[in-house]
Amino acid sequence: MPRQCEICNNARAILRRPKTGQRICNECFFYVFETEIHNTIVDNKLFKPGDRVGIGASGGKDSTVLAYVMKTLNNRYNYGLDLYLLSVDEGISGYRDDSLETVKRNKEQYGLPLLIVSYEQLYGWSMDSIVEAVGRKNNCTFCGVFRRQALDRGALMLDLDHIVTGHNADDVAETILMNLFRGDLPRLGRCTEIVTAGDGYIGRSKPFKYAYEKEIVMYAYLKHLDYFSTECTYSPNAYRGYAREFLKDLEFVRPSAILDIIHSGEAMQVASDVQLPTLAHCERCGYISSNALCKACILLEGLERGVPKLGIAKSARHAQELLANESAMKSAGKAVEPVHFELLRGKAQAMREQRQMKEQQQECHDCTATSCAFACDDDATGLCSSSKETRRCACADSNAETNAAAS
Amino acid sequence: MCDKTTEASLETQRVSPKATVEPSQYERKRVPGMCIKCKVIKPNVTIRRSLYCKACFVRTCVVKFRTALSRSRKNTTVPRTKLMVALSGGPSSSAMLNLMADFQRMELRGTEAQSRYEDIIAGHVDESVLFPDVQDSLISEIAISLSIECRITKLEDVFATNDEAPLFIKLVQSTLAPGALKDKICAHLVKTNDSISSKKRLQSLFSSLASATDREEMLDIIKTLLLIRLARKAECGVLLMGDSGTRIATKIVSLASRGRGFSLPFEVGAESSWFDNVVVYRPMRDFIMKEIAFFNMWTKQNSVVVPTFTTGAPKRASIGRLTESFVIGLDHDFSSTVSTICRTMQKLEPRKQALNSLPCLTCGMPVENDAQAWRSRLTVSKPLAVEAEPTIQSNGSNDVPSDEDGLVRADITDVVCYSCQNILTSAASGTTFPGATVDHFLKSKGPGDAKVDIVNAKQEALRKQIETFLLNDNE
Ligand SMILES: [Zn+2]
Ligand SMILES: [Zn+2]
Ligand SMILES: [Zn+2]
Ligand SMILES: [Zn+2]
Repeated sequence: MPRQCEICNNARAILRRPKTGQRICNECFFYVFETEIHNTIVDNKLFKPGDRVGIGASGGKDSTVLAYVMKTLNNRYNYGLDLYLLSVDEGISGYRDDSLETVKRNKEQYGLPLLIVSYEQLYGWSMDSIVEAVGRKNNCTFCGVFRRQALDRGALMLDLDHIVTGHNADDVAETILMNLFRGDLPRLGRCTEIVTAGDGYIGRSKPFKYAYEKEIVMYAYLKHLDYFSTECTYSPNAYRGYAREFLKDLEFVRPSAILDIIHSGEAMQVASDVQLPTLAHCERCGYISSNALCKACILLEGLERGVPKLGIAKSARHAQELLANESAMKSAGKAVEPVHFELLRGKAQAMREQRQMKEQQQECHDCTATSCAFACDDDATGLCSSSKETRRCACADSNAETNAAAS
Repeated sequence: MCDKTTEASLETQRVSPKATVEPSQYERKRVPGMCIKCKVIKPNVTIRRSLYCKACFVRTCVVKFRTALSRSRKNTTVPRTKLMVALSGGPSSSAMLNLMADFQRMELRGTEAQSRYEDIIAGHVDESVLFPDVQDSLISEIAISLSIECRITKLEDVFATNDEAPLFIKLVQSTLAPGALKDKICAHLVKTNDSISSKKRLQSLFSSLASATDREEMLDIIKTLLLIRLARKAECGVLLMGDSGTRIATKIVSLASRGRGFSLPFEVGAESSWFDNVVVYRPMRDFIMKEIAFFNMWTKQNSVVVPTFTTGAPKRASIGRLTESFVIGLDHDFSSTVSTICRTMQKLEPRKQALNSLPCLTCGMPVENDAQAWRSRLTVSKPLAVEAEPTIQSNGSNDVPSDEDGLVRADITDVVCYSCQNILTSAASGTTFPGATVDHFLKSKGPGDAKVDIVNAKQEALRKQIETFLLNDNE
């Protein structure tokens, strides 16, 4: 006898929900999955109307589903967001080429603008060439540091307000466990935060913080979403592997365990010593950094000088020693000077002003001409100069009031 | 040579604690192939990559225990009182009793000829109702051989009515709308009657729980509860729990995995003043299982094997079992895992809110605000079409819906912690749970600072609510 859905009590149950064990129907699954993401977004006030939000898109299941759900929710609940796909091309042949093809198809399927930034273009080094230089052991360090910065660079190029990434509940729970095992209390506190500051300027968040990986896969499958399912060819951190395996076992024993761990992690946040380091910027590239040089610039310096160990040195002093000892070495010379962040920020600011100007131009309804010079609106009435001339006209006055009220 | 000394009592092997706690540069120097401490005797054991001879090893254990105990004492203000040592009979608690007995002897022999503890009493929870194979006579013998009085309480005593536990929690779930099971937890608060024995009640509680993980968790909760009550009854202001470092590391991971992060600092901390009138210390926290095994062997300390629900079961049998095998494995591959987890997590201070929280009706640990709201936002169970909530859920926490049979039920969601909600929501309807802190609701406390007042106001409201639920089982 077919089983009824435990949520709607109507349709036939076709799946057992990984998060709760409930047997539910297709439609109810979509509904609860999407609603929980919506709840996460609303409860944490992730966005405000008019935000320009970039979806970190890798072509994998998480980010593909994220793009789809963000678009769906933005329409359903009128978030008023401008959505963009933002991809990083690490330059890993075979892996990245194919997944970027997926992202390009997503762009068409979802009708979202796409920007691809590449390591090669930003830094002069692709991951393949980095691995050639440093071997396979520490390449994930490079990739992580570069990706983080690359996303911020891309965000500035698009002048985004916010980046969302596809990190899911499993990733968060795994990180909590890892920090627990390593005894890293400050990180344990930070890793459950749903919004983190990127460049100190563009916020980043994880709308999938509470979404189970299994459900994301299920969603992608049931919605027939087009995603790329191969893992990165350069293997990840071994220690994380322990945490991952343990988490899978825990989930088997008690499906709610992933959510329960996140709940624990949130309660274990270190309240008192949340002392944010003073904001400083990298001397070379202007990226946010607590040292004179940011991590990416040190790694690049090491690559350029043929001392790739530089960036993975255990301490700042160790790095300095390495630099001093090896300074005689000849440059491996791929040298692309990364664009300075000040420049990127300036461009983003200019783009913003231009957009605002356009928006405000439309607000002036007194004159039908859209070319009215808004720059001369020094009394902030929201009217263009020629309309101000005709202010005595009654309709212009009422317009001025509405504009003032709106601002 | 070393064998001779281990035959003697522990105190004859003592050296000045100061010298051992802070070894001088000279002492740190190792003599290849010799004991790290005395440097003249061939070593018998390796602990954390250091070699010890038998005598020096036992002496180190004594000092380590003493240091841990006095550090805990320094962090809490407890007047001179009796002290209870929780004794399960396992290796760690047996070693702890031995060490505590030794500590007391030394204190009495000291210059002041007066110990800071009036008396040492062992407290044991007899679990034979669930594990009939354990010989409890062996456990009291452990205490007797150390000339320490042993008080015993039976697991089923948790269902004996007394001032601290005037009522029990009987789950009512069947009346909730399907799919909304997790939104509210409803229960009758009942008095026991004598027609059902406590033993039967306890057995039926454990058979009504949904999983081995739930049973394990419930057993831990009941044991802690009974030990606290036993200590209070014996007028012991301090209770020593025998959690070893290995055990604490395992506990931290499993508590976190079960959603108990909020109360975790109280449950594994070196010292905790959460419970009324009884301060809990964990002086075995710096010992790993291997040390305890060698200590017991060389001091001829007896212990028993304490069974669990998942003894010998595969690792996926329960969260407790899984965590244990995982932590031991991780510690094997990364040798400092246990000490790293313990050291850091014991630095974790309880959050301010936790100190002022209501105690959980089931486990007695602090309850977070809105734990259930958090969960239901993230596990949506209402269908798309239904806008209004089903009737049972539309009741605010102060409403008292009536059952058809004329009984009243209470919404206890807000007074059950996140983790216990997991146990309760998956237990069979009609299951009766012992109430850890029902007395808290029935007792009103004197006014304190503003924060406490808020708590008391809440408690007062609950108390009024609960008074009307005083029912007998057979009503
Ligand atoms: Zn359904
Ligand atoms: Zn830089
Ligand atoms: Zn020695
Ligand atoms: Zn509880």
